[in-house]
Amino acid sequence: MSSPILEVRGLEKSYDEGHVAALRGVDVSIEAGEYVTVSGPSGSGKSTLLHMLGGLDTPSKGEVLFRGSPLGTAVNLDSFRSRQVGFIFQAFHLLPTLRAVENVQVAMLALNGRANHRVERATALLEEMGLKDRMNHYPNELSAGERQRVAIARALANDPAILLADEPTGNLDSVNTGHIMDILRGIREQRGMTLVIVTHENDIALSAPRHIRIRDGRIEHERTGA
Amino acid sequence: MASQLSFTGFAWKNLLRRRLRTLLTLCGITMGIGAFVALVGFSRSFEHAWLQLYQNAGTDIAVLQSSLFNSSLDESLGPKIQALPQVAAVAPLVFNLIDLTPDVNALVYGWRADSYELDSLHFTSGTRFRAGQPEVVLGDLLAQNLNKKPGDTITILGEVFTITGIFHGGTALETGAVIMPLDQMQNISSREGKVTAFHVRLRPTPAGESYEKYVAQAQAKIEALEPGIRAEAAAERASNNQIVDIAHAVAWGTSSIALLIGIVGIANTMAMSVFERTREIGVLRALGWKGRHVILLILTEAAGLGMVGGLLGIVLGWGALRILAIMPQTASVVSTAVSPVHLVESLFIAIGSGLVAGAYPAWRGARLSPVEALRYE
Repeated sequence: MSSPILEVRGLEKSYDEGHVAALRGVDVSIEAGEYVTVSGPSGSGKSTLLHMLGGLDTPSKGEVLFRGSPLGTAVNLDSFRSRQVGFIFQAFHLLPTLRAVENVQVAMLALNGRANHRVERATALLEEMGLKDRMNHYPNELSAGERQRVAIARALANDPAILLADEPTGNLDSVNTGHIMDILRGIREQRGMTLVIVTHENDIALSAPRHIRIRDGRIEHERTGA
Repeated sequence: MASQLSFTGFAWKNLLRRRLRTLLTLCGITMGIGAFVALVGFSRSFEHAWLQLYQNAGTDIAVLQSSLFNSSLDESLGPKIQALPQVAAVAPLVFNLIDLTPDVNALVYGWRADSYELDSLHFTSGTRFRAGQPEVVLGDLLAQNLNKKPGDTITILGEVFTITGIFHGGTALETGAVIMPLDQMQNISSREGKVTAFHVRLRPTPAGESYEKYVAQAQAKIEALEPGIRAEAAAERASNNQIVDIAHAVAWGTSSIALLIGIVGIANTMAMSVFERTREIGVLRALGWKGRHVILLILTEAAGLGMVGGLLGIVLGWGALRILAIMPQTASVVSTAVSPVHLVESLFIAIGSGLVAGAYPAWRGARLSPVEALRYE
């Protein structure tokens, strides 16, 4: 039997020299190609869990395994983030000095590929996101929905195995929320990617085949199956 | 057509983001490199001019007391040097830097009317001076600055001299100089019977012997003539005299301070830039950028500032040298000749300054925790 693509064991994370506990012993196993949503109240630790899964932060205790190998020791965190993971953020986090197509390319600069390959790939991804006519626009010239689509294209730039989205619709209206969720589900189905979405919106949380609810740094409830 | 992004293009866009700050930072490093190009370029061209002065005249050895500033040798030493078998000719000289007008100073030499060094001068008008007469010849640049021609007079240290000729000098030390008979120079500077130095031209190097060895032997024989005198090979004299040493020290000292100010300016700009872009650095780290990529980006920006500042500084420094070379107050010692090596060296120093200045901000940027940086407001 193959290892899960991501697995956390006894995960704990605390801040302020142990005075603030964000995660208090979380165990989760995610199979390749799974679509998982994580919800919970503000401060419950759901974003912290996502950061740990994506190698953005390191646990205070416990471990995160990628295909059975521990992150940070057997798996280099930088390489993991650049090759295996695509991040999508609530605030988009596009670089304001770069055009849409350049924002997508910036994710590929770390991998030393050919420049013409980078621009071709960025162009193709933005076309896929329906932004063919907005490629050379700066972020401040794009709507919130368009910015999030650029951010999704950027997350896909290095063809990762896992897509991690932290409140991807938190800054969007209902129309754009529906659109972005369709795109994310479509990507997962077409590419067979693992999709983990942190959300505080019940509709989104409950629409996934697997839903994990976190409270006070612990898994409060887990549902598998629609 | 989709815009293509390169690493350097990204760095450049970051620099252009805060144009005024980038411009002010560039001003700092431009001034530093400008000072370096002008001052160090000047001191080196000054050294080169000394060497050329000796080479043009065919001088192999300079004989003087241990210190150039107060060198005072008895004129009677000349015949003793002349009597040595290796020596072809000896030219005693007195020289000093003298104010000709409140605005113009010049190197004033006292040479014998039959000095072999006069043969190396190319007269564009008039003739040589005569021994024992209150006559002088002027370098063409000095004549131009003073608006003098043969037949005119010039007052030096209260004495009136007739200008007999104008010569074209091959170096800044000659083109802005005054040369008069040795006895006249000794008279106006109250140094009768004394000279500053002797210039010595040797006989041709014997076959099978190296020039350096031949010169060294002659040096030893000259120094054996009297205690307390120094005989220096011309090349050594050019690079190892107190005036050149002081010029080098002042040039390096002043331009080092200017460069330091430029480096602090770049360091401040890069530190501010990293601070302002904390969250963006977090995004880059989240996208898989390694710490070394962040370091490379910030160093590229800092080196870019250094390079552009360096190029502007070279233009500024060279322009300053050109202005100094035509100003009457400084024309006698400043040459516009700047070696390409010096310019390349200046550019490397500018880029190096940028890298030094960017090192700490780059290190800080690379050490930022991705998740902490992403949370940064």
